[in-house]
Amino acid sequence: MTAPAAAPLSDKTASRVASVEELRIHFDTKAGRLHAVDGVSFDIFDGESLGLVGETGCGKSVTARSFLRLIPVPPGTYAGGRIHFWSKEARQTGGSPVDLLQVPASQMRDIRGNRIAMIFQDPGKALNPALSIREQVAEVFYQHRSEDLLDGWNGTPPRPIRRAAGQRSGKLEWLAFKVPPLRSPARRLRKRVDDLVGDALAETQIPNPRKIMTSYPHELSGGMKQRVMIAQALACNPDLLIADEPTTALDVTIQARIMELIRELQLRHQTSVLYISHDLSLVRRICDRIAVMYAGRIAEIGQTRHVFHDPLHPYTRGLLAAIPSLAHQRGELAVIDGTVPELIDPQPACRFHTRCSYATDLCGRLDPPLVARPGLRPVACHGYASPDELGVAADQLPRLDRDAP
Amino acid sequence: MVEAAARRPPASSPSGPLAIRVRRFGEITKEVLRNPTTTIGLVIIASLLLMALMAPIITEANTPDAYQMPRDWGAINEPPGTPGHLLGTTSTGGDVLYGVVWGARTSLRLSVIVVGITMVVGTIMGSIAGFIGGKVDEIIMRLVDVLLAIPELIFALAIAAVLGPSFGNIIFALTVVFWVKYARIIRGQIIHVKHNEYVDSARVIGDSKLNIYRKDVLPNSVTPVVVQATLDMGNIVLVAATLSFIGLAEAGLAEWGVLVSEGQAGISAGRWWASTIPGAMVFLWALAFNLFGDGLRDVLDPRTEGR
Amino acid sequence: MQIREYIIRRVMILPLILVGTSLIVFTLGRVGGNPIAIYLEHEMTPDEVAQIEERYGLNDSLPEQYFAWAGGVLRGDLGYSGVLAAPVMDVLPKRLAATLELSVASAIVAVSLGIALGTFAGARRNRLPDHLTRVFAISGAATPIFWFAIVLLIIFWVNLGWFPVGRSEPEIFESISHPTGVYTLDALLAGSFTAFRDAIWHLILPAVTLGYGATAIITRMMRSSLAEELNEDYVDAARAKGLPERLVLRRHARRNALIPTVTVIGLGFGFLLQGSVVVEIIFIWPGMGRWMADAVLRGDQATIMAYVLFTSILFLVVNLVVDVVYAYLDRRVVLGS
Repeated sequence: MTAPAAAPLSDKTASRVASVEELRIHFDTKAGRLHAVDGVSFDIFDGESLGLVGETGCGKSVTARSFLRLIPVPPGTYAGGRIHFWSKEARQTGGSPVDLLQVPASQMRDIRGNRIAMIFQDPGKALNPALSIREQVAEVFYQHRSEDLLDGWNGTPPRPIRRAAGQRSGKLEWLAFKVPPLRSPARRLRKRVDDLVGDALAETQIPNPRKIMTSYPHELSGGMKQRVMIAQALACNPDLLIADEPTTALDVTIQARIMELIRELQLRHQTSVLYISHDLSLVRRICDRIAVMYAGRIAEIGQTRHVFHDPLHPYTRGLLAAIPSLAHQRGELAVIDGTVPELIDPQPACRFHTRCSYATDLCGRLDPPLVARPGLRPVACHGYASPDELGVAADQLPRLDRDAP
Repeated sequence: MVEAAARRPPASSPSGPLAIRVRRFGEITKEVLRNPTTTIGLVIIASLLLMALMAPIITEANTPDAYQMPRDWGAINEPPGTPGHLLGTTSTGGDVLYGVVWGARTSLRLSVIVVGITMVVGTIMGSIAGFIGGKVDEIIMRLVDVLLAIPELIFALAIAAVLGPSFGNIIFALTVVFWVKYARIIRGQIIHVKHNEYVDSARVIGDSKLNIYRKDVLPNSVTPVVVQATLDMGNIVLVAATLSFIGLAEAGLAEWGVLVSEGQAGISAGRWWASTIPGAMVFLWALAFNLFGDGLRDVLDPRTEGR
Repeated sequence: MQIREYIIRRVMILPLILVGTSLIVFTLGRVGGNPIAIYLEHEMTPDEVAQIEERYGLNDSLPEQYFAWAGGVLRGDLGYSGVLAAPVMDVLPKRLAATLELSVASAIVAVSLGIALGTFAGARRNRLPDHLTRVFAISGAATPIFWFAIVLLIIFWVNLGWFPVGRSEPEIFESISHPTGVYTLDALLAGSFTAFRDAIWHLILPAVTLGYGATAIITRMMRSSLAEELNEDYVDAARAKGLPERLVLRRHARRNALIPTVTVIGLGFGFLLQGSVVVEIIFIWPGMGRWMADAVLRGDQATIMAYVLFTSILFLVVNLVVDVVYAYLDRRVVLGS
């Protein structure tokens, strides 16, 4: 079942695809300012797959969507931070990154679906019910590969055809494509697009892609729809794929196959993947590294097997204890007591301290930063701080018994 | 379910639910008034009602029938601003202001009567259909289907026409046409509630049908019925005015549609006031109740967002 | 497949509703007192009146009368119109053509304007244009057509003199033949630009008046359904593909928003039918509505019955077509639930 793991990439010298720094995203609600993402930092390295895990409402989806600036503004605001992104060219030439939160809208559109693509949670909702599969996948090619579409023409293609390849045709032009002299070039363009769409669909092992192309989303099963989503996401061979809970809406039997498919395509195309999930056991199977998110912040981040074998943060420990496994005896399933804190105008305190059995006074008034300490991977917990670092007495720090998690 | 069971036996304590209801009413009022367009609607409604109630004070009532336009044959076609005829007069010496003021009273009378009757009739028909079900339901709902197949105004027009021109017949015609929606609402609610768990739980603990009706169906139907009634308060006046404009009310009645019809002939001669002013009153009336009803729906029933 | 079954079922129910409607229409015709009153003359003797009553079957039982009348309707005999002094079926085509021309023109105004305004407002949710549109939509449903028509007439006919009333200028009407009764079409058939311009010129003001209410309904529906569609995941997915906002709105959101909007077009058509009575009175438009209004005032029951029956059928058919179109457009819909 487990897909082959990519070479581990942990050293900072490996080139990065994206780097999130102190990202803050807030929402204005009736009750006040909701700090959905509140100072999140992490890197995504070239070719790796990073899992961003956490429970519903912890800000993981908001983080993911902010890569493509898909947060509705208002009520949302990008309150701070940067998301640096290195495209393939930038990585090869050692060029400087762009800040995804700052690039102009037109450049953002060039990145979306082309350099960074996204797969959504529910393929049934993320596909437009009124458009055929062909139309929806073709859009990506029209948008980002309009030059390719016109490859191999003798001389310059007629202007209306060029406009069609760039999705700028008017209603009259569509009529003109139905009659000579534009009919045959229009057909040629269409055939070229059909070939590309067919190839993209075949890539995701969809049986009979030519037939699928003509169907509408409601005629396909959930797994098929997600394959279509994957096909259109990977159509332009992006540098980074963001998968926002891509299997949550699917049947359990289909989940594993979709995950394997993503893994396989990722390895083949050398795409980096940011994987959003609430399901630790799924993430464990396919991610090189894991970032655990809680209440708008990263609790800890590290190699998947390290996080699983030696969880540092009390929240991670709670999460892992809550995963059912064969080793558990009946009735032994652990739960984390308490509820997620209100993210509206939060106090400076560890977000987890109300539910944490190790918490001390200190945790209630000082927010632990996410820092890597000697010999440890980055974790946001005072339990790993030295008394000197915080300038407090040693007995004020939480004592985490690391040998018996 | 436990709650429902616990709440039910001592149903004789009216203070609890009543207090909740009063508080809920307060909340709704606050919420409704937060929307400026709804508030505007409410203000217009209040002023129109005030005008209708104060009609005998604003203008001297005509004798013997105050709902007949007084005729001042010495002052025909006077423009607005004429002393004694603030809004001008019609081609038959009717004072436009008198028509506007008493027209509001006519409209109030009309809409209250029609909404009152249709609400009761509709509720009864809908309840019968929903509760008895089977053949009875089938017959009533087919009747409803047929009635809905004919456009409202045209049906009312035909009824009023065959009965002969009189304002009473307009009222009757509107009643025949407007009960249908209430029947639909109530029946829909009954069917809906019938399938709901909490009624099952009520039935399990031995509530009678009538009790279920009183406690579960009626309270749940109040919201859509109130919204519909509010909208109808406006629409009925609109349709009635249209019918009387066409000529189905008695001539000389202090009613806005009649006045517009009478004033229409003068527009080519530049006498705009006798028709446009009463017409604007119909618009104001219908607009106010629509604004208010719409805002009410937004607050009471957020699912069917009309905004 | 499902769509076909659904259509068949709807068409099967149609006769039932028609029978119901005809019963109501018949009842209307009989409660209105003596149906032949309009044909009687003062100097007729009771004997003569009795003869006429006998001839029209008024002494038969009510069911017999109903079947006699319904049978006549099915054979195309809708009775004799007193106000036009001609059999209903003889005058109906011309009158219907006039009303249809007006209604279609209004529908064009309403649909195009409604969709444009609704899209404009829906894409700018909770901003000024949106609030204005909401007020427009509500006031549209509250506007008495007779008042709106008069206001427009006072402005554009009395004061500015931009538009005429009536259906055409007499001399231009005389200049061409009118095989269809739809003047714009007749003008095109005759190849007369003058006649065409004249027909359009006369059409604009009543069409705008009549289309106003329906425009408001469509605007309102388009606005709320577009705003709803813009919250859907597929809109974000389209943005995530890098599509410009223009295509996200037009190709993705608007296409889906149009689907529920189709359902109110039936409602809007009801508005047009009802409004045509008033508009035709005010703009002196010789259509079905004006005919009905005359009939109502003169107690011409044959015309009233024919009119109600005819409009109901038209209304039913339009709603059926709307449902079918809706079912076809919305591929997600499983009908009949």
